[in-house]
Amino acid sequence: MTTYLLRRMAFLVVSLLLASTVLFLLLRLLPGDPANSLLSVGASPEQIAAARHRIGSDRPLPEQFVTWLGQMATFDLGTSFISTLPVGPEIASRLVVTVPLTLLAFLLAVVVAVPVGFVAAHRSNRWYGPLLTGVSQLGIAVPVFWVGMLLITAFALYFQILPAGGFPQDDWANPADALTSLALPVVTIALVMSASLIRYVRSATVDVLDSDYLRTFRALGSSFTRAMWSHGLRNAAVPVVSILGIELATTFLGAVVVESVFALPGLGSMLAKAIAQHDYPVVQGVLFVSTFGVLVIGFVADLVQRLIDPRLRGTLSRSAR
Amino acid sequence: MNRKTTSLFGAAIALGLALTACGGTDDGTGTKSTSPASASSTDATIGIGSLYEPQNLDNTAGGGQGVTEAFNGNVYEGLFRLTDDGKVENLLAKDYKVGSDGLTYTFTLQDGVKFHSGEPLTSADVKYSIEKVTADGSQSARKSSFAVIKKIETPDDHTVTVTLSSKSISFVYNLSYIWIINDQAKDLATSEDGTGPYKLGTWKRGDSLSLDRFPGYWGTAAANKQVVFHYFTDATALNNALLTNAVDVVTSEQSPDALAQFSGNDAYKVTNGHSTTKLLLAFNDRKAPFDKPLVRKAVTSAIDNKKLLNSIWGEYGTLIGSMVPPTDPWYEDLTKVNPYDVNLAKKQLADAGYPSGFSFTLDTPNYDPHPTAATFIKSELAKVGITVKINVITADEWYTKVYKNRDFAATMQEHVNDRDVVWYGNPDFYWGYDNPQVTAWVKQAEESDTAEAQTELLKKVNQRIAADAASDWLYLYPQIVVASSKLSGYPLNGLNSQFYAYGIKKA
Amino acid sequence: MTHANPAGPSDTADPGGAPHSGGAAPAGRRRRSATLVTGCVLAGTIVAVAVISLFWVPFSPEDTSGGRLAPPGPPHLLGTDKLGRDLLTQLMIGARVALTAGLGSVALGGLLGVVAGLLAGFATRWLDDTISALLDILIAFPTLLLAMLVVAAREASLGSAILAIGLAMSAIVARLTRVLVKRVLAQDFITASRTSGTSWPRVVAEHVLPNIWPTLLVNLALQLGLAVLAEASLSYLGLGAPPPNASWGRMLQEAQATVLTAPLGAIAPGVLLVVLVVGVNLVADGLRDVADPTRRRTR
Repeated sequence: MTTYLLRRMAFLVVSLLLASTVLFLLLRLLPGDPANSLLSVGASPEQIAAARHRIGSDRPLPEQFVTWLGQMATFDLGTSFISTLPVGPEIASRLVVTVPLTLLAFLLAVVVAVPVGFVAAHRSNRWYGPLLTGVSQLGIAVPVFWVGMLLITAFALYFQILPAGGFPQDDWANPADALTSLALPVVTIALVMSASLIRYVRSATVDVLDSDYLRTFRALGSSFTRAMWSHGLRNAAVPVVSILGIELATTFLGAVVVESVFALPGLGSMLAKAIAQHDYPVVQGVLFVSTFGVLVIGFVADLVQRLIDPRLRGTLSRSAR
Repeated sequence: MNRKTTSLFGAAIALGLALTACGGTDDGTGTKSTSPASASSTDATIGIGSLYEPQNLDNTAGGGQGVTEAFNGNVYEGLFRLTDDGKVENLLAKDYKVGSDGLTYTFTLQDGVKFHSGEPLTSADVKYSIEKVTADGSQSARKSSFAVIKKIETPDDHTVTVTLSSKSISFVYNLSYIWIINDQAKDLATSEDGTGPYKLGTWKRGDSLSLDRFPGYWGTAAANKQVVFHYFTDATALNNALLTNAVDVVTSEQSPDALAQFSGNDAYKVTNGHSTTKLLLAFNDRKAPFDKPLVRKAVTSAIDNKKLLNSIWGEYGTLIGSMVPPTDPWYEDLTKVNPYDVNLAKKQLADAGYPSGFSFTLDTPNYDPHPTAATFIKSELAKVGITVKINVITADEWYTKVYKNRDFAATMQEHVNDRDVVWYGNPDFYWGYDNPQVTAWVKQAEESDTAEAQTELLKKVNQRIAADAASDWLYLYPQIVVASSKLSGYPLNGLNSQFYAYGIKKA
Repeated sequence: MTHANPAGPSDTADPGGAPHSGGAAPAGRRRRSATLVTGCVLAGTIVAVAVISLFWVPFSPEDTSGGRLAPPGPPHLLGTDKLGRDLLTQLMIGARVALTAGLGSVALGGLLGVVAGLLAGFATRWLDDTISALLDILIAFPTLLLAMLVVAAREASLGSAILAIGLAMSAIVARLTRVLVKRVLAQDFITASRTSGTSWPRVVAEHVLPNIWPTLLVNLALQLGLAVLAEASLSYLGLGAPPPNASWGRMLQEAQATVLTAPLGAIAPGVLLVVLVVGVNLVADGLRDVADPTRRRTR
């Protein structure tokens, strides 16, 4: 287990380094000079040159790369080109919105999807089994921003019971306020996310229900519930946990659409704006932090799978997914 | 002065409603008297919705339009104030004298002014603040206006003397853009030390910025306790916030689509003020075919600007026919100079040597309303035989290709500032309009002794560029403010993106 | 978002079996063909509309003579948008844009992915490990982020969107192809044919491709649905085809402002999106059953 942990950690660090190097090069190879977005109509050539000098875009690429590596080594995410403010603290303040949003949506989706997926598989011969399957089929086809739009129209504009967007200025000082502003975004993500989760839970359950060992247990006189508890769940959980990891990571990174629909000051909206402004340090910082988050989630998912399924121990479980 | 301002406000409201053809239910003149100022209103918190978040809090370091909106007049004050209807008033300058040569300006400062840090205002602060704008690293858009400053002296704590290298009638006006900052202040990108009626509360980036009433303010205290600017990246989210009472007022509506929800509703008041933002179809006046005034006039006459304005803004917005908006002192209605007349356009094209038209590429910024307007222009010009190829580019590309390299035939751009007709006097500007007479007039206007002389000359400039169709000034944007009807005392024109919040009352 | 998730609801990680109507065979048979037929009808309708739009639309897409937000009724059957353009025309052209984006990205992603996947499949040890690790990292990046970067690099256009979605998709397809190839290569007949002197290219052509294409095809069909949704999201964020091109995502974004006054504009494009994606997904499910009727379990 220790060797595994060490190897997995090494993999994490190498991936992170690799991903951010690729990112750095990609961003620098983009056409257009970020200095341009700092200036307004009427800027003189001297002002343009000064802006280029300040953000360092007049220096050769290798030099920029070395500077950046040095910053990374000291956990310094740099300074925004546009605002001239440090990137790290702003990312921290945005995480206060994005992390709870992601986790709450994820929890809600799991709470809905696991029982529904199980029932859809277990009761596929009743009328509601296929119905649940059909609804989830519909759910994965619905664009998330459209769900958000419709929820805003109904609950914020028409019934006026929930806010249409925004987040309290004092963050979580008043948890009730913060939760109220997250209600619709969380439901939006959870709706779409649970639709695809239901499909996985259902197919994993079907696999277990069809499995030889479960039949054997039943044939040996074990009750269905007992057989399911002692073996079925564990077996069904392995693929589901792997998918959960991916889904959580995607939601975390993909919050950009939902944050833009609900005007939330999260990581996603920060990134969208930075990309539009060619603010490389911010883009880089946000992607660095999110890549880190995604890799850690993958790590945890792997670990959980190994704890559930002893057969996976001893392998780098990637191949098992 | 105060009283005069109020009446001007009233007039603006009435005018706004007159222009708002569909807002019939409100009685514009009655609004002020029908909203009795309740006793508790001075403790109100006003929520302001805006699309322009500051990049940082320093307007000489790229703070942008957002910081002007939030801080001008609210947190920082200038020696002079540009009122919402375009007048220049004394503010931190109690008085000023101009020497007989027209080159020496002596400013006397107001007494008893304190910065938010508690430091008193002195002439050294004024000198520091002006030099901050003219400094080498300054990104201020106004920097070039102050190139005429030769030296700044501070004979005593209450007096500042500025000597110019040539006469500049706009000098006092230009000073209204300079924030007076405490010369000891630090971290101006995230904090402030101004003299205004509010001090900075918290700035939650990507979301909001709050201003708290400054108890030690030297003038009349703000009419509300706190204002919070809420920032949105999209107009719909902004309108939803207003509809759900998350904000009380929207500084500037950027789309007419949502207005139907407000204009028919007694809980909201829609006002149509004067903007200074002009949408231009800017020709490259250096290059054929647009080096011929006749061709430019033909294109201008071939486009039905009224229909364009209507398709983008519905019943809002104004046609101006030149670069000068009605709030500039040298405004006159020039919409008749190049009227919409397809037959005239065809005749002019034939006279210019293009009887069967020509084709050109229109560099179009990729954000609204440019692509829509470009599509419209394309279909209009097709009627006179001109083929338009629309080339959609990013703001960044526009800056490099059009503004810096002048590599374009024609482009579209919005020009936001007031008094910017003077750019036509600069042959090096991106559109390359080179008329020595106009250049001379612009220069003389700046050096003239009286505002009347300046106005006279700039009117001539305006007439000439219109006659030459230096550009096609498609329309002037509307400046639409939507507010809860409980609110009063908010600015209607948002001149140069300013938004004075200190007069806002909430019933 | 979830639908932009490259590793989303498609069962890429588990090619043999996963989300699927895996009920008892006899009862399922009829339902499966019903699935395929329903899918074909739904997706086919949208395809038909897109094809028709190539030859005929009720109004010119640039015709703004209809007046702002005209209500439904002749001559504008579904009304007009805020610029006075005919909504039906916009929706028809939107079908074309959606399909172009979907098919374009699948073609690009499929081609790149299969080639990369074959390489990885034949690679061994550290090379295989490296490629897999790279693919894992790439997959961790949702389509949307990749697309935003591509858009920042190029410009907001349909081409950029296709490029971005295709690139993101290629990682998923590559990983799937790799697993499939490995599985085929592990079988005895490959060893046999190698021993008898068959060259690698012939092995690929004669054994590998025929064995993996059914699963690949099913997966590409699922990816098509995801690509359509991804393009809609990009357009919604203003990163897709620039105006005045009609994309359903963009139409929804624009109609958001008038959702209470002109609700049809905020509903119709969304419904069409759902119809297309559900149709494509059903086709994929149906195809899977045709391609692999025995549903052999791998676990």
